[in-house]
Amino acid sequence: MRIWTLCLLLLITALAPAALAADKDTLVVGVSSDIHTLDPGVSSDNYDWRQIYPCYDRLVKYKVKDGVGLTEVEPMAAESWAVSADGLKWTFKIRKGIAFDDGTPLNAEAVRYSFDRTIAIGKGPADNLTAIASMAVVDDYTLEITLKNPYGPFLQTLATDGASIINPKVADRAVNDDKAQAFLAENVDGSGPFKIVEWTRGQRCVLEAKPNYWGGAPKLKKVIIRFMAESADRRMALEQGDVDIAENILIDQIPALEKNKDVVVNRFPSQMVEYVYVNCQNEKLKDPAVRQALSYAVDYQGIIDHVLQGNGVQMRGPIPDGMWGHRKDVFQYKRDTAKAKELLKAAGAENLELTLIYSERRATWEQIALVMQANLAEIGVKLNLELMANPTLRDKIDKGDFELCLGAWSPDFADPYMFMNFWFDSAKAGLPGNRSFYKNDKVDELVRKAEVSSVVEERKKLYGEAQDIIMQDAPYIFLYQIQTIVPLRADVQGYVFNPMLESMYNFEAISKK
Amino acid sequence: MRILAYIIKRVLAAVPVLIGVSILTFLISHAIPGDPARIIVGPKASKEAVEAIRREHGLDRPLPVQYVRYMTGLMQGDLGQSIRNHRPVTKDLADFFPATLELTLASLVLCLAVGIPLGILAAVRRNRLADHVARVFSVIGVSTPVFWLGLMLLLLFYRNLGWLPGSGRLDITSTPPAAVTGLYVVDAVLARDWALLKEVLSHLILPAFCLSYVYLAVITRIVRSSMIAVLGQDYITTARANGLSAARVVFKHAFKNSLIPTVTIAGLSLGELLGGAILTETIFAWPGMGKYVVDSINALDFPAIMGFTLLASTAYVVINLGVDVLYAFLNPRIRY
Repeated sequence: MRIWTLCLLLLITALAPAALAADKDTLVVGVSSDIHTLDPGVSSDNYDWRQIYPCYDRLVKYKVKDGVGLTEVEPMAAESWAVSADGLKWTFKIRKGIAFDDGTPLNAEAVRYSFDRTIAIGKGPADNLTAIASMAVVDDYTLEITLKNPYGPFLQTLATDGASIINPKVADRAVNDDKAQAFLAENVDGSGPFKIVEWTRGQRCVLEAKPNYWGGAPKLKKVIIRFMAESADRRMALEQGDVDIAENILIDQIPALEKNKDVVVNRFPSQMVEYVYVNCQNEKLKDPAVRQALSYAVDYQGIIDHVLQGNGVQMRGPIPDGMWGHRKDVFQYKRDTAKAKELLKAAGAENLELTLIYSERRATWEQIALVMQANLAEIGVKLNLELMANPTLRDKIDKGDFELCLGAWSPDFADPYMFMNFWFDSAKAGLPGNRSFYKNDKVDELVRKAEVSSVVEERKKLYGEAQDIIMQDAPYIFLYQIQTIVPLRADVQGYVFNPMLESMYNFEAISKK
Repeated sequence: MRILAYIIKRVLAAVPVLIGVSILTFLISHAIPGDPARIIVGPKASKEAVEAIRREHGLDRPLPVQYVRYMTGLMQGDLGQSIRNHRPVTKDLADFFPATLELTLASLVLCLAVGIPLGILAAVRRNRLADHVARVFSVIGVSTPVFWLGLMLLLLFYRNLGWLPGSGRLDITSTPPAAVTGLYVVDAVLARDWALLKEVLSHLILPAFCLSYVYLAVITRIVRSSMIAVLGQDYITTARANGLSAARVVFKHAFKNSLIPTVTIAGLSLGELLGGAILTETIFAWPGMGKYVVDSINALDFPAIMGFTLLASTAYVVINLGVDVLYAFLNPRIRY
């Protein structure tokens, strides 16, 4: 036994790690899941965009003011643009002097090719470009885009990952007419400040900075994205200094991190919201009075204080705070069990029994479901809880085969269209957005008018009017807007959170002390 | 020759088994409610986009047609395209299987190198301190949840003591070795990169121990029980009476005859480990089959699920065949 112990100690000593040299030029980010694809024309996943976004330029980018990321956009590869009076024709002047790694210039043709490719592939990112009817290269650096209809959010959609500008030479890499999907699934070919030099699946992705980037050389030389599925593992690595930023640390582990002097825990109000879809087509939930009763029954602040540990703000209306169109004066449900019971009685819906479905996508959902079960029991509603796998849940939502369902939503681009039209337009019923299968002709009219207007004030008024109707109809239980928590090492500087870029980082501006 | 004929017979018998497994897996994975086409395009995509993807991947065809297409591709070595990763399943398996194989083999080595001697010690020193320690060690092994053990090992050896590195197959800043086998230990030796070998081994210790502990505990108990049974036999008493040394009695006569149950358990354990140790791989950020297949199931990635199932089934068949052949060498009375 003594020999075994001695051997074990010798082995451990021999294999003890050398101290990792602190590298000021390399940023390491510990993330929870691997990339699926690097193709901006295919990916619908923020976790993919984290790696893709810094490798490409887009026509516009989100503004940063005083270290705060804004939802407004400013010129990037497009140095200016003009829109016709009818809102249909957009003319972009492309900035000269931008080139891809092989020297191919980023010009009007490159933009046209990229958008055409994304639309032709027809996967998730294409939805943000469906407003485009045609494009014309007026000259090398002027692109004219004609829309099918005037589309208020159009400019905002050009800052999304799907609007990334790809080197048109990738067409030579197409196999069997796949539009180079096989190539771009594993490679990048953009003009952005970084390029991907290694992707070892399941382990890490390495980005290298381009010192000659037209927008200015990044301060970092290298970024390593390390895939670590377990939250505790990411946390330990952050505390040890092996990673500089750790994503998705479970809420109950945050207080311990806050006590660590080498770690800074940042909190930012995000545009990500969590809410409950109330199936308006279901017999038991058709009556708005019943839906209102459910909204009155929920203990919103209790959920935020005890489940989220304060890391959230109750939603006020469907447009989150921070997005234009949010109204601070729109009706907000507060817990009122007496009112809820009264509404149920008047609707003849006492002794109601409902089922709430949810998936394992969020660690907090199980607790929220239990809180809601207790809250609804107080007003005489028996709430059954059903946990299911995410694909199964999505299938049920798409088919309207559910009563209540917990969900989350974040906007792809900074326009209230992402909430008002997706959630309430009856034409988008089902998984695409209107998951409550809500139908109100007046609301349809208002949100569709707002969609085709390019006048912000007019759109605000239309969306504002729609919100009043929606809050009375209560097609969703609007729970909360979450706070994004980003713990990072104290020596990391320059990080700017942008609510439109969840799980994405401004690597080009980050540095380490 | 008889062994060879037996092996050929077993290989041929495995074919209908694998076909049956493929049909069952295909039916079960398609019976789960969910639409993989929706998963590809994302939840906000229109119904038209979903339909287009369904057509592109052949998901709109009847089930028997989809199955026949899949099996036709399989005969040509094509396991299909991963819906989630947009690449051939064979490439995915080639990326993730070596990591699982390396972890599995390391765990098996630990199981046998520690479990067998411990079991022998417990049997030979029955009802004495060594036996009690070995049995407590075993009980802890079969009772401890793997995910808890993994986190405690990282907390103690990585975070608190700093004796061993954190998760992953390599340090975060290290570049993987040139892929020859995909097993980093072997590839580091082939490249004669001893610093890398040290790094790989240091990363392998904790997950291998975590994964092996429960199997090590079982092997310890099996070896102990078998040895006790054999040591009680008359011929052992005769051997001792004839003046043979204790070591000779234990290792030459008793141990070999008690190996059959151990080999059986080791074979079953190996098959189970190769199926992917999801919890260990998650805790230690080990890029193996376990996490790959769980993510594939969550995404209803049928080709990936089918590819993994066929690989795991084949591994089980091969391992069981190996175990059966080994029986004949361990016990000359066994004939096929």
